[in-house]
Amino acid sequence: MTPLDYVWAGVLAVFQGPELFSLLGLPIPVTVVMILCGFLLGIAVGATPGLAGPIAMAISLPILISIFGFTPDALLPVMGFLIGIMKGATIGGAVPAILFNTPGTPDAYMTTLDGYPMTKKGQAKKALKVAHFASVTGDTFSDIVLILCAPFLAILVEAYLDLPEKTALLILSLSFIAAAVGGSPAKGLISTGLGLLAAYVGTGQDFYPRLSGGTDVLAQGFPLAAAILGVLIVGAVFHELALFWREKEGTRRAGPDEASSADQRLRVSDIRRLMPYISRSALVGTAIGALPGIGSTLAATLGYALGKRRHDRRKAEGDPGFGHGAPEGVAATEAANSSVSGANLIPVLSLGIPGNTAAVFLILAAESIGGFNPGPSVFNFTVDVVNPEAVIAFGLFTCMILANLMNWTIGGLFMRAMGVMTRVPKQILLPVVLILTLTAIYVQETNMAAVWFTLAFGLLGYGMRVLAISPLPFVIAFILGPKIEDSARQAFAATGGDAFFLLTSPVAALFMALSVLVITLSTRRKKGAT
Amino acid sequence: MTSVFKTALAALALAATATASLAQDWAPPGPIQLMIAFRAGGGADTQARLIAEELQNRHGWEVIPENVTGRGGLNMANELRGAANDGTVIGIAVTETLGYNLAAAPDAAMSPADFTGLTTTAGFQMGIVARTDRGWGSFEEMIAAAQGGETIRFGAMSPRLADLAYLLSNAQGVDFNIVEVQGGRAVMDGVNAGDLDVGFMAGIQRAGVAAGDLVNLASGLDVPLVQSPDAPVLPDLGVPFHAGGEFVFLAPAGLDPAAREAIAMAIAEIVQDEGNPAGEMISRAFGGSTVILGDDLTAHLQAQYDQAGELLAAASE
Repeated sequence: MTPLDYVWAGVLAVFQGPELFSLLGLPIPVTVVMILCGFLLGIAVGATPGLAGPIAMAISLPILISIFGFTPDALLPVMGFLIGIMKGATIGGAVPAILFNTPGTPDAYMTTLDGYPMTKKGQAKKALKVAHFASVTGDTFSDIVLILCAPFLAILVEAYLDLPEKTALLILSLSFIAAAVGGSPAKGLISTGLGLLAAYVGTGQDFYPRLSGGTDVLAQGFPLAAAILGVLIVGAVFHELALFWREKEGTRRAGPDEASSADQRLRVSDIRRLMPYISRSALVGTAIGALPGIGSTLAATLGYALGKRRHDRRKAEGDPGFGHGAPEGVAATEAANSSVSGANLIPVLSLGIPGNTAAVFLILAAESIGGFNPGPSVFNFTVDVVNPEAVIAFGLFTCMILANLMNWTIGGLFMRAMGVMTRVPKQILLPVVLILTLTAIYVQETNMAAVWFTLAFGLLGYGMRVLAISPLPFVIAFILGPKIEDSARQAFAATGGDAFFLLTSPVAALFMALSVLVITLSTRRKKGAT
Repeated sequence: MTSVFKTALAALALAATATASLAQDWAPPGPIQLMIAFRAGGGADTQARLIAEELQNRHGWEVIPENVTGRGGLNMANELRGAANDGTVIGIAVTETLGYNLAAAPDAAMSPADFTGLTTTAGFQMGIVARTDRGWGSFEEMIAAAQGGETIRFGAMSPRLADLAYLLSNAQGVDFNIVEVQGGRAVMDGVNAGDLDVGFMAGIQRAGVAAGDLVNLASGLDVPLVQSPDAPVLPDLGVPFHAGGEFVFLAPAGLDPAAREAIAMAIAEIVQDEGNPAGEMISRAFGGSTVILGDDLTAHLQAQYDQAGELLAAASE
């Protein structure tokens, strides 16, 4: 099979996969339906303050796996659903930001700056339309970059990097994530270190279970889902509950201003005026997304800052400035934070390194179902024997394109209908999320130990949030820990037991030097800043 | 050796069907928990899950698969040993788990006597495999390259295979850089990606060899490979052991004989019949079924355990 055959096989895997039902004689493939369901769910959770895409992904994953099973046929429907949530949540997050001045997701904070003033001026619908248009444009651009770049990057990595270099690259990306995420490099390092420590319990190649304290319950290590869902979701729920407890009176939301001015339409002239802002932000977001660990919040901030500088120079007399209800501000922010999501999958698919929480859940899905190991070997276009992983990869790309098409066509409509979700009270929402998460864990692991582990990791996640330590490096380190160990062991053995295998090849040595540099530089910069 | 077992099996299967009245009456007292000692998604895991489904279809037994991975199957064995021995808990591993892996982990304090063997499902067509474009047409050419000073990275997916690779290098008077990887697929991926030069592959190489991308340089068994009958066998290369093995279903010790026979026969019938998804998959992925049952299986497991002691002693010299 040529690479083009693989692309086509991936498209067919989506459309000719198992059919769910047939409509007027046309078979409706289950994957397409799952993308649509995920997409709609994503818009709803994105629009709900306190919920975000990752929570919905975390809860639905085990339920989906118990429905679809552990066969390779399950990969595309399940991952398609997750991709749908990812895309939907991105545009959904702008809804409460614009209507109620409360960002549904952290990335949408900058959207409140101009979105809410527009609402107060009676241009709520227009603000939502601008946000949707900018978001979808940025997202689509980012996906195109992903689809073009990931296979080539993977092939380059496979062709030029040997085992020691791959080990060094994994170490470099962990250092980068520790330095970049969570504000302070020391806290990032603590989070990374804890993640590695947890990953090494019970694993390894020896017949003696490591770090298990001689107990049987730790001999198998921590289940991936328990660690990830515990720290990310249960930890967040505990933290929110604690905040809620302290505030006593629940957050009451005022309704949006009902007044609306005549001009709610998004005209071609508007689009022409917004495009320069959208395209710059899309470029910024894509570039940032391609680096593992740097989130969409930074992209949104940068996109907004760039847009503001341009707007200050060029705005016409009488137009609102940034921060006073400028549609350009909404567009610049939304394009930037949306264009992160596609590019964030570049390191996942080409290197197996997750860069954000959405990517973490895609990897969790792949690991739980099996049969698809994100990494350089995915894009091995074998000629005589079909490489099923490459077919799945192009199937995933097809899912993303489909989700974008849904976003372009019906996304705006659903997004504008989701204002109602912002009224769900937290005291109902949080316990529901907690119970659903624990149930989901039990469904997947079928033993109570996993539930206790999840609660324990939840406490850890809570503690980390109280101390302002980002849990993301923990989770990424937990995923990459076994990979680093495996590749280091293999590199050591393959070089004939050379203890300096990380330093003898120039490329590996360069990666190691960069790892040290990234940490030291970020420490210095923080010192200078304070 | 396999052929001996196959004939024994045929006789046994006949005898079993004749005296199966007790076993036919047996039904599990509840849902059957199936512990799978392999990672989700691989060929071994798929096989186990397909068999579980087919057991449900044919006999109405509710079978709940669960992956219990780690330590070469010992985590699964440890959990299985303490489980109920009324036929409601069974496990699937490879014979190597109760052989080499138990022998190499004395602190696990387990022996084959802690388990009841139910049946094997498929054997390994274990080959020593390289990429065709690596330029070695035969095992001797690889050894010649090693003697010429080329570094050779030899992939193995278990400690036992790593020991065998080490004995092979000693017997041939060369050095291999033996790289232990996780899972049979990882050896093939490593060889295909050029990270490894050669490695043990337990049947996964079949399509690649048929397509001409891979070549079986030698058989890892003490009999020739079906696909490459001309490749030398391990004993010819100076290693008095073999790298063969089978997937095996196990239960805790002390399982009621009627239950043992009922479960074992139910699984054996499924894997030998290519007309169901499980049997079809085993034929496609592992080149056909290998069924060893009853006392033969008990003896087979014990023999693997005993041989492992010899291999450990030889490799630690």
